[in-house]
Amino acid sequence: MTREETSKYTDLMPDGTARQFTFDMEPKSVITRPSGGDTLAGAGRYEITGIAWSGRGTIARVEITVDGGATWVPAELQTPVLPRAHTRFQWPWTWDGREAMIASRCTDDTGYTQPPLADLIKVRGVNSQYHNNGIQVWKVAADGKITNGNRA
Amino acid sequence: MATARNVIAALMCAAAVVGSPAVVFAQSPTFGVGHAPKPEELKAIDIEVTPDGKGLIHGSGTAAAGKEVYTRRCETCHGPTGQEGPQDVLAGGQGSLTTSRPQKTVGSYWPYATTLWDYINRAMPFDHPSTMMPDEVYATTAYVLFLNGIVGEHDVLNETTLPQIKMPNRDGFTSDPRPDVGASPKKRSQHQ
Repeated sequence: MTREETSKYTDLMPDGTARQFTFDMEPKSVITRPSGGDTLAGAGRYEITGIAWSGRGTIARVEITVDGGATWVPAELQTPVLPRAHTRFQWPWTWDGREAMIASRCTDDTGYTQPPLADLIKVRGVNSQYHNNGIQVWKVAADGKITNGNRA
Repeated sequence: MATARNVIAALMCAAAVVGSPAVVFAQSPTFGVGHAPKPEELKAIDIEVTPDGKGLIHGSGTAAAGKEVYTRRCETCHGPTGQEGPQDVLAGGQGSLTTSRPQKTVGSYWPYATTLWDYINRAMPFDHPSTMMPDEVYATTAYVLFLNGIVGEHDVLNETTLPQIKMPNRDGFTSDPRPDVGASPKKRSQHQ
């Protein structure tokens, strides 16, 4: 057995054990625009868009939040939606110019819904890097600057 | 003149043929190049080593002999005792896996001694991989295990004794339990 199969591509858990042969890519999505590093010009209409994918099947739905996860609305999926393929989504957003926490979360056809990063960390700790499929939050500041909301 | 539309039409016909029942695939096209590898050709490039020692090449070495090889060819990247780096830390780290700064070394993390032999044999030293003789590989393996307190200085490692070593973290690995987070009524879809 190779170094990669044992010491490198294994996922170390908080109790010191490590998961081996973890090949599944669980559902993940990320908003690619607007996203970290972007600056919005001011209040107004913006299209939120990004990609979602699942190594276990087909993306069934993607939801968007602009209030840090308090409420979610369905995004539109761009066809064709194919198994184990990137699936683009979009949703029209009217920004009121106040601080906002925007994020996407996807569900695949197995019924699995992408979890918040904190839920993953609770179970897996912070030393298993290869399967972080947690929800990615972007923080939109009142001046329009966008930063990593997972660190906010 | 072959118009773009004609070319596309021809490609679509080809796709339709390829896409017809699975029996079409029973005999793969050969494209007129290459040949099926002969067993001896596969054997010549097969360097896989399994935890039970299958694939190990005949040879032997001790940590005492390996110290010279290590000093000459490994120390620059891995440090005098295997703990200094600057590249991968090879020794130490025991008890660190449950801390906020886990050190995944050969001694603290690797489950099989044969993996160390395999990796040195195929990939080390970094600037001249796969150039070490079998005895040098056994000796260097022995020295790295010695730096971790797993073998004695004069223990002889060969294709029989190396797989018998039980690494400290041998039982530290589990199979994949996911989905462990995220609601999932069905475990898998039909797309496997």
